[in-house]
Amino acid sequence: MDKKLGFLAFGILFGFALSRVGASDYDLIVGMFVGQDYKLVGVMATAIVVGALGMQVLKKFAQPVKSGEPLKISYKELKKWSIAGALLFGFGWGITGACPGTVLAQVGEGKLFGLFTFTGMICGTYIYARLKEKHPDL
Amino acid sequence: MFILRSIFVDPWPFWAGGIVIGLLVPLLYYYFNTALGVSTGYGNLVKIFLPAKNLQWIKTKYTETYSWRVYFIIGIILGGLLSAILSGNLGITTEMGRFTAIAGWPAVLNAVFFFVGGILLGLGARIAGGCTSGHSIHGIANLHISSILATIFFIIGGIITANIVRSLFLGGAW
Repeated sequence: MDKKLGFLAFGILFGFALSRVGASDYDLIVGMFVGQDYKLVGVMATAIVVGALGMQVLKKFAQPVKSGEPLKISYKELKKWSIAGALLFGFGWGITGACPGTVLAQVGEGKLFGLFTFTGMICGTYIYARLKEKHPDL
Repeated sequence: MFILRSIFVDPWPFWAGGIVIGLLVPLLYYYFNTALGVSTGYGNLVKIFLPAKNLQWIKTKYTETYSWRVYFIIGIILGGLLSAILSGNLGITTEMGRFTAIAGWPAVLNAVFFFVGGILLGLGARIAGGCTSGHSIHGIANLHISSILATIFFIIGGIITANIVRSLFLGGAW
């Protein structure tokens, strides 16, 4: 399967699922943070458990992966500022009621202000690129 | 008919969304030996939309501008669109849940509010090395300590700002 077309297809599935389960709904995300609605906690917990079980099945029965390469799991290292970055991300999550994936589903659904969250995210990534010029440890 | 309605019209129960999203982790490894993740692709969008070609980080990390990450992003947008079309909710709306219903701000202020939040998301995701999909789903499913830590602080941050917004602008009720 061509990687670009494959990711287009999996992206459609991902966006559709996020939208149908309500992850693109401001009220559900902010409701989770203010302790009013825990549906999305259930979504994330289920996804983590299913993902973890799926990875075990993959390691046992589906190695090497389809292309014949050995499975290579990417690990995100903890850097000096990672925790501070995570906190900043959380601030944005609680303000917008969206994250980098769900905001895309919002845009597809036609939520106008989701487009501003999306534009802000591109600018935030640009700010990171600028900061990284002078602070390589970021 | 009932099944079609449950898939395309009614909101899914939490477990249905969780299963589909969770399965993406092993599936993307099986087919493409690639980790689930969205926020890294925003670097591609920076390269496409902003004058950033000379920034070192963009130059070294984003050699292929229209990489698979861009296709994944387009796919997620199309998935949201498809969901809206099939459930009969298609149309551009200026509503954003209880925020626009209760705060009653002019549209310009709403736009600034969500834009500023978006900046924090974009900047924070890059400094943290990932977002909800890459860290919280993919990373924790692989039992990575860095992802568990990142997710704890994602949630702490979200609890702080969501509660501040609720007390200051949404009347503290709800």
